[in-house]
Amino acid sequence: MPQADIGEKLRALPPGSAVAMKLDAREYADHYFAFLNATLRDLGSDPEVHTIYVAVTSPAPFVWSLAQALDVPADRISFVDAISHLMMRFNNALPNATYVESPRALEEIMLRIEYLLRRFPHPRSVVVIDSVNSLAIHNPPELLSEFLHILLNSLKSRQALTIVLETSDEQAQSVEQLLNLVVDETIDLARLGG
Amino acid sequence: MDTAPPATPGPAGAGDAGAGRPVPIERCPTGIDALDAILDGGIPRGNIVLIAGSVGTGKTTLTLEFLIRGAERGERSLFLSVTEAAAKLIQNVASFEFFRTSLIEEGKLVIVDLPPVMAKLGFDRDELSHEDLDLLLRTIRDLVRSLGVRRLVLDSITSLGYRIPRDEQLRDFLLRLGEILSEADCTTLVVSEISSGPERHSTRSVEEAIVDGIILLRSIRRLGDILRVLQIVKMRGTPHSRALYVVELTPIGILMAPHLKGGRATEI
Repeated sequence: MPQADIGEKLRALPPGSAVAMKLDAREYADHYFAFLNATLRDLGSDPEVHTIYVAVTSPAPFVWSLAQALDVPADRISFVDAISHLMMRFNNALPNATYVESPRALEEIMLRIEYLLRRFPHPRSVVVIDSVNSLAIHNPPELLSEFLHILLNSLKSRQALTIVLETSDEQAQSVEQLLNLVVDETIDLARLGG
Repeated sequence: MDTAPPATPGPAGAGDAGAGRPVPIERCPTGIDALDAILDGGIPRGNIVLIAGSVGTGKTTLTLEFLIRGAERGERSLFLSVTEAAAKLIQNVASFEFFRTSLIEEGKLVIVDLPPVMAKLGFDRDELSHEDLDLLLRTIRDLVRSLGVRRLVLDSITSLGYRIPRDEQLRDFLLRLGEILSEADCTTLVVSEISSGPERHSTRSVEEAIVDGIILLRSIRRLGDILRVLQIVKMRGTPHSRALYVVELTPIGILMAPHLKGGRATEI
């Protein structure tokens, strides 16, 4: 997987861009790891960058364990965990995570992102939404569209780079259509030569 | 995420002069960015505003932030507490990252327990008489004048109201309180505790018509989740949003996001 290409593409984007990062369901593990490498390690190696990772697919401690394997410093990443509460997993709370009770509390997710942006003001903020498919499991399409539209526009006005993970398969076409309406660009990892 | 749009000026907008030129009004910014945005810059200076809500909706937190932000700007701020002891309130405000104890030490933020004051004034009956209320108002007026108070919170009119048996007395008390504070150019928030449910902004409805503004805090349920929401029901002297906003109480202050309309929500 050419993670250097992903990193280059992300770096080339103007501030305030919103990107859909398309992962192939059949090669999910490889694509996901390449994405983490490119985003958290390569892009995140810039001391001016702070990453806010919205964890809906897997709990923040799981993503953090992968980030640690990539030597990502704890003070350069914060998590909004919207899944641990639902899984009744309260025993492994991360100090760099804030917990939302449910992935349906979309406004609270917006507010926690806002909180972290204010709490950790950095010249460059990267916000990762992992993932639109997981949000779609818990939320009706009209609510999810409204959320993405408001959130992405708000982050654009704050010059933050937003990366929305999307797992593509035949069932996920409606999610893909929804995402196409709100992002500036799509990076398809399968087409990058994975 | 503090994405509140500026309030849309409408026909009921603030002080239109005869020739259609708007008369600029002095504002009292609450210091809560999104709230100020939907109030077109803040509460009109000297207004008396009801902060209505059921338990756990953030009424006291909002009023404390209003006072601390004001004290930081050099405006003397006074909290008159009927329900909670000052020591407990100070404990609560300490969780705000923007709170400094020096604000209290320097007298910029003053917290007064009203029950001991009322006891000292000799109000030993369960129900306050007309004379008692008159004395209480004069005491508040003197306090505001002597300290030069620009922001005041009364928490809560509901608790005080338990000792004011007749609606006319309560209405008269609030009217005169509003006059006193408006003359002193003091912007006031009066907390009103209401039971859950829509369409009520005070326990006895007397307060609603008298005050200049009503900010309603309540909880709603959507898809099984409970959201804390805020709405400006009325605010004299300024255009304002009437939409619902989800609020979050954080260590850096109250944050607000537009309430998403795509899911059906119900009152709880």
